[in-house]
Amino acid sequence: MSRSVILIGGPDSGKTNYVGRVWPALDSGGGMLRISKQPGDISFVLDVTDHLNAGTFAPRTDRGDARRDFEVAVATRDGVETSIVIPDISGELWAKAVREGELPTDWMEALRQAQGALLFVRVQSDQNVRALDWVTSKALMSKARKADATKIPTQVVLCELLRFLEVSLAPSAEGERPRVAIVVTAWDAIDSEVFEKGPTAWLEREYPLFGGRIRDCENLDLKVFGLSVVGGDLKTDAACRAAVQDTGLDGLGWVAIEGEDGMWHRLGDLTAPVAWAIGA
Amino acid sequence: MTSGCSFEGCTVAETGICALGREPEVCENRTDATTAPLDGATIATPGISDFHGAPVLDRPRTSVPFPPSYTLGPDALAPLMASRYFTVVGILGEPNSGKTACLASLYLLAANASLQDWKYADSKSLMGLEDIARGARVWNGGSPPLQMTQHTEVSDDRRAGFLHLRLASERSGSKVDLALPDLPGEWTTKLITHGQSDRFEFLKRADVLWIVVDGRVLMDPERRQGAITRLGQLAGRIDALFEGRPPRALVVVTRRDMHEIDSAVGERLLGEIRRKGVDARLVPVAPFSETPNVRAGFGLTELVALTTGDDAGRPGFWPDAAADESSRSYLQYRRGT
Repeated sequence: MSRSVILIGGPDSGKTNYVGRVWPALDSGGGMLRISKQPGDISFVLDVTDHLNAGTFAPRTDRGDARRDFEVAVATRDGVETSIVIPDISGELWAKAVREGELPTDWMEALRQAQGALLFVRVQSDQNVRALDWVTSKALMSKARKADATKIPTQVVLCELLRFLEVSLAPSAEGERPRVAIVVTAWDAIDSEVFEKGPTAWLEREYPLFGGRIRDCENLDLKVFGLSVVGGDLKTDAACRAAVQDTGLDGLGWVAIEGEDGMWHRLGDLTAPVAWAIGA
Repeated sequence: MTSGCSFEGCTVAETGICALGREPEVCENRTDATTAPLDGATIATPGISDFHGAPVLDRPRTSVPFPPSYTLGPDALAPLMASRYFTVVGILGEPNSGKTACLASLYLLAANASLQDWKYADSKSLMGLEDIARGARVWNGGSPPLQMTQHTEVSDDRRAGFLHLRLASERSGSKVDLALPDLPGEWTTKLITHGQSDRFEFLKRADVLWIVVDGRVLMDPERRQGAITRLGQLAGRIDALFEGRPPRALVVVTRRDMHEIDSAVGERLLGEIRRKGVDARLVPVAPFSETPNVRAGFGLTELVALTTGDDAGRPGFWPDAAADESSRSYLQYRRGT
């Protein structure tokens, strides 16, 4: 059985670096998902992994509507084998889809065929756009049609992307709601107090519209994850960079998951969001 | 070999890429690129697509639209209203009274988590709300639409239709769905002056009316009484539209940041509206503010509370039906008192 998981998010939201990190995680075999058969074309993931192994994040994907799919046969811990296809679509394409309300036919097809999705948003990205305030809005409203140049706030983009998933993803054969993992990347950049409250609370505070939408969403099964692909910021954290360069990616990076006790815990299994999204 | 190239195995026509790794326009094997015109006229240097066998036009890339999230027409609103209860608000007000400012400010309060007691939950017209707050759309090039948009569609123009806002109460956890019509003020003017009410049929489903008034007009001695008279006439039209059973009305007085309405003027205004059979209440608001003393969004939380019935004075679902022993109603009835 083949299952497709789509990665969705605006520019600089961390999609590509996650793909580059989840590949060695699948390859090492210690997580919820492991590779059951060596895939044919791994040039795309190797490109990204090369960046991480070198101690740098992969640069922003400015490929317009270019598409690279990562397809791999995996097995769950129970031995159930499945093939997952992860189309990595540039963030700019999703941003354009929100602006124009449409998606190229082949991408729309990929969206409709997906069994689940990972929706990315990155902490402290310089691409994040704050919500309008009264001062800005008043100035814009007094100059009709001058607002086209202003960017759509990130929380509106996230709400729209969630809506796209809501109207596109089909329920499973068993009639279960499609699963969407909301992945807050660069979660290592926040302090311990914010970590304890969790990424859901952070989303509600930073993006009230999106936070409200998560609470109210009835047609999708949502779960929020925090993510750190290597456990630190390769740009500013020299120790983290040295660790990657010295020992490789194994053992680095984690996923923050809410436990049954309501506490947020670090889990070393980077495959967890994908595993949850495909119902493994 | 491609026609136009002397190299055996040329792949330019099929792939657009030279098999020898050269630039097709300047390749020395090219045979038809430098043909001189017979009449001496200049012709553009042929590109790749001029080769025989090359596609004449690029294949157009088609796109598939998502359901839009701009203003909702009645067709889009109907299935939503069938699935759960919607509080329909009838928003009336003459041009420049502040209707759009109220909608924009309400959205900004939700977007900035500043709507006291309420949190945003959803909107089926989120991009419409965002566009209104950004001033990105105007009525069709300055010409207001004549009718409510029947079918929801993407457009550069602002369409007359409903904006949807779903809010969750922080106190009770209950959720309310507001359907807020975004209509041009000219419709209200025509309703007052000519009784043109056919396009307000949707109002008959309204739970509550917002009659939006520019607070500056009520403070201006020269325009005040005229405005009150017009509002009285509007109330008369409303009463006729609802065949004598209008819903409660909230008179939303804007520009509270600049002026506080005088109580005598307020009483006179309410008296004029009530005289026409419409139960009304004043709600001063400041969607935007130019003074530090009054914050932007002033009064809108109360407006939402009054709209959703949190403070509407509705009778309880299970009213106290216990007999009042002291009144002795039956005996009093016999005595004719």
